[in-house]
Amino acid sequence: MRAYMGSLWARRTFISEFSRSELREQNYGSLFGQLWLILNPLLLSGVYFLLINVIGGKSDSARFAHLTASLFLFYLIANSLTGGVKAITSGQRLILNTSFPRIMLPISATVVALFRFVPTLVVFFGIHIILRLPYSWQMLWALPIILIAIVMSLGMAILISCINVYFRDISSMLPYLTRSLLYLSPILYEAAHMSVRIKKFEIANPIFYLLDSWSRVVVHAEAPSAKGLIHASVFAISIFSLGTYFFLSRERDFAVRL
Amino acid sequence: MISLSDYNHAHSANSIAVSVKDLGLTYTTSIDKKPTLKARLKSLGRGKKFTRTVRALSDVSIDVHYGTVLGIIGSNGAGKSSLMRVISGIVPPSQGRVEVFGSVSTLLALGVGFNPAMTGRDNVYLGGLAAGMSRNEIDANFQAIAEFSELGEAIDAPMRTYSSGMYARLAFSVAAVVEPDILIIDEALSTGDAKFKEKSLNRIKELRTADRALILVSHALATIEDICNEVIWLNNGKLMARGKPTEVIAAYREFVDARKSASSDEDV
Repeated sequence: MRAYMGSLWARRTFISEFSRSELREQNYGSLFGQLWLILNPLLLSGVYFLLINVIGGKSDSARFAHLTASLFLFYLIANSLTGGVKAITSGQRLILNTSFPRIMLPISATVVALFRFVPTLVVFFGIHIILRLPYSWQMLWALPIILIAIVMSLGMAILISCINVYFRDISSMLPYLTRSLLYLSPILYEAAHMSVRIKKFEIANPIFYLLDSWSRVVVHAEAPSAKGLIHASVFAISIFSLGTYFFLSRERDFAVRL
Repeated sequence: MISLSDYNHAHSANSIAVSVKDLGLTYTTSIDKKPTLKARLKSLGRGKKFTRTVRALSDVSIDVHYGTVLGIIGSNGAGKSSLMRVISGIVPPSQGRVEVFGSVSTLLALGVGFNPAMTGRDNVYLGGLAAGMSRNEIDANFQAIAEFSELGEAIDAPMRTYSSGMYARLAFSVAAVVEPDILIIDEALSTGDAKFKEKSLNRIKELRTADRALILVSHALATIEDICNEVIWLNNGKLMARGKPTEVIAAYREFVDARKSASSDEDV
């Protein structure tokens, strides 16, 4: 295990370079190129501004800010899952011809998702200023929440990449799974507005309290609840540990299965 | 793509580089008589699974010493590539033991890990990093790689604009700068035009030193005879012969000719 981690650490530059190349390939040939990393969240927030403020006729700045902030963090997890699901199966040539720690591939998928997430923080910062939302030192809680989100994204990417080797149908199911996760999480609505009867089932949703904590911190400038942070951390660590264990125990089998 | 699995070590000539004992490799592939959902659901109910077992390697034992250039020959499906993959740690053996004493580089396919959307220059870094080189090592070797590939200004063009020959030249050039203890090459010399083939061959010859072991898989028997000082012949996953290149290649040719004449007799 120590040698494996050493080998993984030695190839950290490759993970970064590989992720950059994946990102560049996604926008290859487009007029705006890498500028899409900023344009995408800008346009997304523009669509929701149109929906809430123009068509809905409400000037609810907190709701608009909650929606955009929650969506941006949700896309870190969803993009990590989407990139992770085919990380192993699409890396067939690399796996069959080169000896390297295979876990690098789902890690790269999460790094790509992270590269896409960082510009959304800049966009949200702009929205925060324009809407004159409140500021406080409690907003520093955003850093541990991002860390928890990264661990959860990584765990999910590692787990789903491994599942897809044995059960290819998961990649076809994924859009419906992420869409369900979107509607079951406090993104289109705020957790505080949910009925207690429904809310008690949300303990099973791994990202429910993560997104709730995120919204409290970056939109309302409040401290997250201890329950929310503990729930998100326990899920993140559990998914990461389960995914890594499952992946490492099956990794040697991949070259034969692909 | 070359992959460097460990750090380089100092080795005396004739010490063992790779030891393979009673190696067996079996693949199990699932096959559906009728690949329909109904058939799948039926087989699930019965708990039956249609599988086919492929024995890629069977009781193969070889020792490769430092200073040796070992050629591996055999017809398609003989198990040559499978043996290379097991030795380089890509595929785990089903039985037997493989011990490797030194850093291993594999050149099993050219341009693995390259991204066609990126320039040749970017791919030199991507390929080098995938091979286990550091950015500083690639910086130091970049000029040599660019010159060896003979791409000129095309090194800054996206690789999707390259011809297959240009692609192969750059891929081999990146691979050729890595100097491992044990180098495993599978059919990589059969790329590019005649001039580049000769250049690649010369580079391989340069890599023949007393403190390095080379394992070369090729269908080009003249090349094997020219470069190697030892040859093994595999057939249907079994080791048929091992020895001097001239003797083993002659035995292999005789076997292939006999099979050809047997099949032409059948045709008559």
